[in-house]
Amino acid sequence: MLNKILYVVDNNGKNNYHYKIDEDTIIYHFSIDGSSEVKIDLVKEGVSLKYYYSNINYNNNTFSIRVNHKASNTNSELYNHGVNVFDKKLDYYVDGVVNKKTSGCVCNQENQIINIRDGKSTICPNLLIDNYDVVSNHSAYIGKFSDDKLFYLMSRGISLKEAYKLLLNGFLINSKSLDLEKVNLFLQEIDKI
Amino acid sequence: MLEIKNLYASIKDSDKKILKNFSLKINDGEIHVIMGPNGVGKSTLSKVIMGHYSYEVNKGDILLDGESILPLTVDERAKKGLFLCMQDPTVIEGVSNSEFIRTAMSSKSQEKVNLYKFVKSMEEAIEDVSLDKNMLHRSLNMGFSGGEKKKNEILQLKMLQPKYIILDEIDSGLDIDSLRIVCRNIKKYMKDNKDSSLLIITHYPRILEYLKPDYVHILKDGKIVKSGDLNLALEIEKDGYSSVTGDDNVE
Repeated sequence: MLNKILYVVDNNGKNNYHYKIDEDTIIYHFSIDGSSEVKIDLVKEGVSLKYYYSNINYNNNTFSIRVNHKASNTNSELYNHGVNVFDKKLDYYVDGVVNKKTSGCVCNQENQIINIRDGKSTICPNLLIDNYDVVSNHSAYIGKFSDDKLFYLMSRGISLKEAYKLLLNGFLINSKSLDLEKVNLFLQEIDKI
Repeated sequence: MLEIKNLYASIKDSDKKILKNFSLKINDGEIHVIMGPNGVGKSTLSKVIMGHYSYEVNKGDILLDGESILPLTVDERAKKGLFLCMQDPTVIEGVSNSEFIRTAMSSKSQEKVNLYKFVKSMEEAIEDVSLDKNMLHRSLNMGFSGGEKKKNEILQLKMLQPKYIILDEIDSGLDIDSLRIVCRNIKKYMKDNKDSSLLIITHYPRILEYLKPDYVHILKDGKIVKSGDLNLALEIEKDGYSSVTGDDNVE
C-alpha cells in the first residue's frame, strides 16, 4: 500500500505543526537544536500514521506531540529519538489520545533520549485512553549508549569515535525506507557530534 | 604467540579476584582448550584478554608476539589481531550487519573497503556459514536465533581475518548441524591461516572432536590446575571435574 511521506527538517527556533491525517502517512521529522509542538488529528476511519522524530540537541529545548485519534480503527506509531549532546535540558511530552467514541484504535509510542554528557532529559509519555477497545503501548528510555554495545563494536577494531558514529546513525536514522538525500543537513550534523 | 604471564585480574572497583596467577603460552598454529566448572573464570579470562571494561588486571601481563597489550584499548587489541567470539553477542538496533563489518574491515586495514569486493566476499562467507543473505541488511544480531548469532560471529571471523582467536562457548546453544557448520568453517580458517592460534573455552568435548586441540587445560580457582591432551577432556566428560581436580564439591 502506498503511503503519503512527509519530510520535515527544522533548524533552531520554535516550530509549530498541525496535521489532519486522512490517508496513510509517514512523517520524518528531523530537528537540530529546536523546540517543536506537533498536533496531529487522525480524522478518517482506518488511516495509519507513522511518525519518526529524530533530534540533536545542544541547548534547552522541548518537543511535544499530541496524536488525537478522532476516527475509529486508526493507527498511530510514534518513534521519538533524541541525542542530548551537552549538559542542557531536553524534554519530551508525548500524548496519545483516544476518546470514548472511537474504537478499534492502535496507539503506540516509543521514546528514547541518549545523553552524551550529563544533560537533564525528561520524557513524559501519556496515553489518554477513554475507550476499552484499544491497543496501546509506550516505552521510554533515557541514558547513555551501553558499554556492552561499545565493547562489542570496539572488539572488532572499530575506534570509540567510529563506534559512537555508528550508534548515533543507527539511533537517529531509524527507518530503512528513508530517502537520505532529503536529510543531508541532518546527516552532516550527526558527523559533528 | 599469545602469552599470559602470572595474571591476576579482578572485577573493577571490587575486591573480587577472578584470575589468580594464571599463565598460558599459545604458539602460532596451536589449538588450546580451557575447560572448567561454572564460575571459575573462563569467560572472565577471554574478556580480560580483550580488555573488557568490567575487569582490571592487578598483576602480570598479556603479550602478543612479546609485546604487552595491557596499555592498549579494546579496538587497538583487535587491530593487533585479537578476536573474541562472544558467548552472547550483543544486539545493536539500527546498525546493519554489512555496515558494521565494513566499518570494522576499514578500521583494521586503515583504508576504505571496496564495495564490490566487500559484497562479493560477504556473500561467499554468508553461504559458507549457511546464513540467510538478508541478514546483511538486518540490524546487528537483532532477531537472530542463538545459532544465527554464533554463525554471525564466525562470519565476522572470516571477514576480519584475525590471528589470535578466542571462542567463548561458541558451542553453547548450537544444534548438531550448526555446530558442524561452525566447526567446519573454523577448521578451514585454521588450515588457510597456519600462523593463527585458537583458544577454545568450552564445557563440552563434542566441539573438540571436530577441532582436535593440541592442549586441554583445566581451570579452577582462577588458574590452570591440570593440562593434557584431548584424552583429558574425554576423561572429564566421563567422570566429571572432580576426577581431575580432586575436589568433590565442584558443581
